[in-house]
Amino acid sequence: MQISPILSALRHHKAGTALIAMQIALTLAIVCNTLFIIQQRVAHLSRPSGIDEAHLLRIQNQWVGQHGDYAPLLAADLATLRHVPGVVDAYATNSVPLSGGGWSTGLGLKPSQNGPTAMTAIYFADDHTLPTLGVKLVAGRNFRADEISDMPALSKPTPPFVIITRALASKLYPHGDALGKSVYVAPDKPSTIIGVVRRLQAPWTGNFAASFSDNSTLVPFRLITNGTNFVLRVRTGQMGNVMRTAPKALYAANRMRVIPDDDGVMPFSAIRAKAYASDRGMAILMAVICVMLLAITAAGIVGLTSFWVGQRRKQIGVRRALGATRGDILSYFLTENLLIGMGGVLLGIALAIGLNLWMVTRFEMQHLSLWYVLAGAVALLLLGQGAVFAPALRASRVPPVEATRSV
Amino acid sequence: MLKMNHLSKVYRTEVVETYALRDFNIDVKEGEFVAVTGPSGSGKTTFLTIAGLLETFSGGEYHLDGIEVSQLNDNARSKIRNEKIGFIFQAFNLIPDLNVYDNIEVPLRYRGMKGAERKQRIMDSLERVGLSSRAKHYPAELSGGQQQRVAIARALAGSPRLLLADEPTGNLDTQMARGVLELIEDIHRDGATIVMVTHDPELAARAQRNVHIIDGQVVDLSEEPRFHSHPEETTQSQR
Ligand SMILES: Nc1ncnc2c1ncn2[C@@H]1O[C@H](COP(=O)(O)OP(=O)(O)OP(=O)(O)O)[C@@H](O)[C@H]1O
Ligand SMILES: [Mg+2]
Repeated sequence: MQISPILSALRHHKAGTALIAMQIALTLAIVCNTLFIIQQRVAHLSRPSGIDEAHLLRIQNQWVGQHGDYAPLLAADLATLRHVPGVVDAYATNSVPLSGGGWSTGLGLKPSQNGPTAMTAIYFADDHTLPTLGVKLVAGRNFRADEISDMPALSKPTPPFVIITRALASKLYPHGDALGKSVYVAPDKPSTIIGVVRRLQAPWTGNFAASFSDNSTLVPFRLITNGTNFVLRVRTGQMGNVMRTAPKALYAANRMRVIPDDDGVMPFSAIRAKAYASDRGMAILMAVICVMLLAITAAGIVGLTSFWVGQRRKQIGVRRALGATRGDILSYFLTENLLIGMGGVLLGIALAIGLNLWMVTRFEMQHLSLWYVLAGAVALLLLGQGAVFAPALRASRVPPVEATRSV
Repeated sequence: MLKMNHLSKVYRTEVVETYALRDFNIDVKEGEFVAVTGPSGSGKTTFLTIAGLLETFSGGEYHLDGIEVSQLNDNARSKIRNEKIGFIFQAFNLIPDLNVYDNIEVPLRYRGMKGAERKQRIMDSLERVGLSSRAKHYPAELSGGQQQRVAIARALAGSPRLLLADEPTGNLDTQMARGVLELIEDIHRDGATIVMVTHDPELAARAQRNVHIIDGQVVDLSEEPRFHSHPEETTQSQR
């Protein structure tokens, strides 16, 4: 209703108006993009690994001294672990999801192919692996016990057959007919795909495996070396007990080993927390920055409006004398703030998109969803109205008699 | 039009109570032109702010246009100020951020008047005060006399039944003061009731009736010589 006189009055307060509008614009640009990054971080760190983490425990074992052949030791340890009360199943492997270290390789569809068709993580597995991890087969079958062979460290794995994840299968064979087909893990000898599992994440959570984090290949090997990862499936509620009793059982069977104190026995909840610690820290830091920026902007609006109200006490009194109600004065300041806010928000939308485009080219960011910008714009306008309310209320309480008392 | 009975106004500060008005009685008839005089601090401005519903009073009765105003809430008082009362202040009290046109428009907008009618009234009242060419000027670009004429135009545009003026010429030289008074007399001829506080005996003499306030009470001087000046009054009027 009174937009045009408010606008013309604002022309006499250019500096303050521009300051607040700029602050709103910058806040919008930064907050939109930051929230977008946070959302991506959160999506990243909450992606499923495909394994039944709540029931899984990893034990890292290192043999010390001269042992000769590790194969019987490994078999004995697995037998020991499977008999620990509370343990449902167990297997030994080179690496597990989220652990940060493991083997990766390129897969081809032809012998000695130039450049891989897909990258994949390699997990050593046996017939106990899928039941232990709780990973579901969607096609084909599991390994049989008699199909698992010993694989000394430092040798090139040439598996006769493999089980792969669905993500990898559709990368290799986009028509969904991977089962029974060949894939080249080794350059010259084909491996037959005998099974496809729904999901099994690679060990790496950082940028290294960003492009193939759901590509995993299970190979039917026991890793015969002096260090092993045991993965235990534990009954519900038994995690604490097994974490104490399982290492004891291993030591009782053979003392010539080291299970590191700090991370030798880790439930998967801890492995996950460690894997994403920096992602989560970054997301929290960014959220704190957002909140601080919003607080500073709100404080700026409160400050400037309070200053304006003080400066305009006399004219508020005059307006009241001329017939303005308290509501008229309140709505004057709310409208004024809304107009400044809309100016700032328009500029902010342009800035937000510009900032995002810059990050898209510089840091391989994704394109900012327009919904973020619009939601941010509405949120900032509401923030402005909230911030201006207290000073506007004070303005509405300036008595009309203020018009007559010239100090 | 304006009738106060045994009205009192007390200003309370932490330590003192000041009776700005006590047992204050006045009856201004519809269409009358009353000049209010009195020494500084006697309560003239206080009387005017209460009469104009800018302030509440402590005791007694005040009927404005037949309405007992102490019963009215803040919004009702705003509405009466807006529709029935015009104010002219010593310090002009134009809004510095708005140009002449927008200043005159302020009370009309609060009345919810349509744009076309607002424009008509603004142009008419500017014409009457002889400032049609200054509509786009800002108050700071006008002389004191011109600013006061804009303030009169602002009061005029709302066609008030009651015009309250607190030393409207106090900040003006004699010639400009005369012009302003002529405008006020003009408004009076159109039928408005005028109450004007002044220190200037010459201006007071042109009113139909003089009301003298001393120490927060009315002393009717209609039987006495039309004015007499107190010594402190003449010094104060130079402020
Ligand atoms: N807000 C206030 N608080 C306390 N006392 C006040 C207030 N306003 C006015 N007064 C006191 O009330 C009395 C009347 O003041 P008022 O302004 O009405 O005088 P006046 O007749 O208009 O004087 P002048 O000719 O100087 O304008 C004075 O004693 C003044 O100090
Ligand atoms: Mg006064």
